[in-house]
Amino acid sequence: MPNIPAPSRRQIGQATLAAAIAGAGPARAADKTLVVGASVFPDSLRPGISSFASESLLDQTNEPLVARTNEGGLTPCLATSYTVLDDTTVQFKLRSGVKFHDGSNLTAEDVAFTINYILDVRNGYGLLARIAPVSGVTVVDPLTINITTRAVFPTLLMGLSSVLIQSKAYFDRVGIAGIQARPMGTGPFIYERWTPGDRYTLTANRNYWDGAPKFDRLVIREIPDPGTRVASLVAGETQIIEEVPIDLIPQVERSPIAKVDEITSTAGLILTYDVRVPPFNDPRVRLAFDFAVDKEAIRREILKGRGEVLQGQLLTSTSFGFNPNIRARGFDPDRARALLREARYPARYPVVISTQSGKYVSDVDICNAVAGMLGNVGVNATVNVVEGGVFQQMQNAFRTGPMYMIGWYSLGDADFATVWFTQGGRRAIWNNAEYERLFLAARSTNDREIRTAAYHRMMEILHEENPALFLLGLPSLYGVNKRITNFSAAPDKILRLAKTDFV
Amino acid sequence: MGRYIARRLALLPLSLLLVALITFVILRLTGNPVEIFLDVNSTPEQIAELTARLHLDEPIPVQFFIFLRDLMTGDFGESLQFNAPAAGIVLERLGATLTLASTGLGLAMTLGIGLGLVCAVQRDRAADFVITSVAVAGQSMPSFWLGILLIQLFALKLGWLPTSGAGGIQHIIMPAFTISAFLLPNIILITRASVLDLSHEQFVVAARSKGLSRGRVLITHILPNAFNPILSFLGIQIGALIGGSIITETIFAWPGVGRLILNSIAHRDVPVVEAAVLIIAVGIALTNLAVDLLQMLIDPRVRRQ
Repeated sequence: MPNIPAPSRRQIGQATLAAAIAGAGPARAADKTLVVGASVFPDSLRPGISSFASESLLDQTNEPLVARTNEGGLTPCLATSYTVLDDTTVQFKLRSGVKFHDGSNLTAEDVAFTINYILDVRNGYGLLARIAPVSGVTVVDPLTINITTRAVFPTLLMGLSSVLIQSKAYFDRVGIAGIQARPMGTGPFIYERWTPGDRYTLTANRNYWDGAPKFDRLVIREIPDPGTRVASLVAGETQIIEEVPIDLIPQVERSPIAKVDEITSTAGLILTYDVRVPPFNDPRVRLAFDFAVDKEAIRREILKGRGEVLQGQLLTSTSFGFNPNIRARGFDPDRARALLREARYPARYPVVISTQSGKYVSDVDICNAVAGMLGNVGVNATVNVVEGGVFQQMQNAFRTGPMYMIGWYSLGDADFATVWFTQGGRRAIWNNAEYERLFLAARSTNDREIRTAAYHRMMEILHEENPALFLLGLPSLYGVNKRITNFSAAPDKILRLAKTDFV
Repeated sequence: MGRYIARRLALLPLSLLLVALITFVILRLTGNPVEIFLDVNSTPEQIAELTARLHLDEPIPVQFFIFLRDLMTGDFGESLQFNAPAAGIVLERLGATLTLASTGLGLAMTLGIGLGLVCAVQRDRAADFVITSVAVAGQSMPSFWLGILLIQLFALKLGWLPTSGAGGIQHIIMPAFTISAFLLPNIILITRASVLDLSHEQFVVAARSKGLSRGRVLITHILPNAFNPILSFLGIQIGALIGGSIITETIFAWPGVGRLILNSIAHRDVPVVEAAVLIIAVGIALTNLAVDLLQMLIDPRVRRQ
C-alpha cells in the first residue's frame, strides 16, 4: 500500500522550504499535497461512464472543448470559439499551443477521433446519449473542426461539456485498456497512480495552458462513510470533502479549521405519480397532495435551511428555462382535505412512496416527512426503501408504485431535465401532447428566445397538471479547510481544482 | 486421513457450484446491468449491442451455462465496469482484506486467549468480573458503532491515529481492533470455560501431584487442550468474519474486497461478484478443512473418530 501521510501545516512549510532550496529540481516526495475526500469512486477510470463521480475524476487529466462552470454556465476550454455555419454544422476553433501530458500537440485529429470513438456504439460509451444527434466530424485544418448534427441540436455545447478529448496517437498506441489504466490528456493534473477503492494520486501539470496548479500533488481518496469523511476533514487529513450529510454540518462548523461550502445543485427532487391508476388519474387528488405538503418546513427542518423549495415546477431557479412567474403553492391542509373530499378520495387507499436510500441528500427522511404530512390530511401513506438496481428495474417497467422519489439534474439547461416528462425520455407515465410538442420545438431551434418561451409554458403545464409533487432543489454540500482558497462547491459535483490553493 | 482430505476436497466443487448458481440467479433476477451501466437515455443500438455481448438476451439457464463453460477455462468473464478480467480485479483487492482479517484474527486470538486465561485464573475475583462484563457488553456492540467511537476518540480527540485509509501500521490498528471485537468476547468466554472445565480433569490433578507448578500445568497441559473449542468456534465464524469486514472496510475506507463486492452488486457486475464470492467460498472451505486437520493434529481423540 502506498503510504502518503496527510500533510500537516509544519510538513508543508518544510516541504516548500526544501523545494525552494533545491531550486527548480525534479518533483520531490514531500511536496505540497491537496487531499480530497470523495464520497464515492467509480470502479475504474474508464471514460464515458454515466456518473458524476466518474466524470469528476476523469476531468482532472482530460478536458472537453467547452467546460461547465460552478456558476452553471459554459466556458471555453480546449475550444476558444465556435461559429454556427448552418442549422446543423458548428465550427470550433481549438486553442493553440495546448500540449498533452506526453508533450504532443492537441490537434483537430484528436477531437475528431474522440467524437468518432464515442459515436461508435460498439465502444459502449455511456455518455453517447449526450451527443447522440451528432452525425459526423470534419477536420478543416489542424486547429479547426466542423461538427455536423442530424437535426438542429441546441444543447450541443452542453453535451460536449461531458466529452473528454483523448490523444489519438496515445489511443493508437495503448488502446482503450491502456487509456483506462493510465489516463493521459491536456488537463491540469497528470496521472500518477490509481488504487481502486482507496485513492487516485495525480501530480500537477507544470505546463498546463491555463497556468500550473498551485500545489504539487493531488490525492483524491474514497471515504464512503460520511462520518469518517467529516472526521478526516476535522482531523486535517483531508482539505476538501464531498457530500457533508445534513446532520454532520454542526460538527464541521464547530471545528476551528473547517467550514461548509454550499451551492444549490441543478437537481430537482420530486415525487412522481403513477397517473394511470385511480386515485392519481384525478388531477384534484394531485393538487390536494401539493397543498398538503409543507415544502418550506421540510427545507427548514430536514435540510436545515439549505437548498431551495422548487417553485411549483421541475427546474431549479438558476436553470435556463426556469419560469420566474410560477410560485410554489402555499401549505394549505384545509384546502387539501376539501379537494380530497370533492374527489371522493378513498380514505384507506394505501399510498406507497418508493425511494432509494442515500441516493439524494436526506432522501428517506424527506419521504417519511411527506408521508406524515399526507397522513395529516387523511391519506394512508407509507415509505418503501428500495435497493438501487431493483429501483431501476421498477422504473424501466413503469412499476414504481403510486409515488416515487427521483432527482432530475438539468445541468443548467432545461432540455436535460424536461426530457423525463416526455415519452422519448422513457421514464414518463404522464403524457401531455402540448408538452411533447413544446419540448420538440425547443429542441429543434438554436433561438434562445423561442426555447425560453417553450420551457416557460412547459413549466406552466407541469404546475397545472402536477404529474409530480415538486419538492426541493437539492443542496450540494462540501466541507472545506479554512486555509483553502479559490475553491467552490459545484452544482454538478465535479471537482474543479486548477486554481485552488491553500496557505 | 488422506482419504478424509480427498473426500472433503471432492465435495468442494458441488458446494461451489451451488454458491455460484445462487449468486448468479439472484443478481440476474434483481437488475439489468445494461440499464445500470448505460445512461438511461442511451440509444437502442447501444443497449442491443451490450445486451448481446453479455448474452443477456438468452434465458437465465443458458446464461449460467455460458458462465460455467468460461469458468472451466479459468475465465470468470470480463468486468462490465472495469473492462478487465474479473478474477484479477478481485485478487488485487483481496490482499487488503486478508491483511485486515488476519491482523484482526491474530489480535482476537492473542487478546482473547490471554484475557480468558486471566479470567480463569482469577475466577470470581474482580479481574474476572470486569473482563467478563466488558466481553458481554462488547459482544452486543455493533461493529459500525464501535468503529465510529474509535475514530472519534483516537483520531479526533487524541489525534494518535489517522481516521481512515490504508497505509502504515497506524492505519490498520482501529479497523483490525473493530474486526477483532466481533470475535474477542467469545474467545475470552470459551477460553475461560474450557480452562475451568479442564482444571478438574484427572490429568491436571496428576500433573499437579507430580509437583509441577500451577503456571507450568496451565501452559503445557491445560492450554493445548483448551485450544480445540476455540478452533471449532473460529472455523464456524470465518465466514462471518469476512462478511463483517464489509462494514469495517466501509467505515475505515479500507480498500478491500468487501467494498468491491458491495459496489459490484450495486452495478450488477456479475463476473466480479461471482469471482469474489467463489474465491471467498474456496477460502472459507479450505480454512474449515485446515481447522479440522489442525484439530486432528492437536487432539489424538479427534484423529481416531
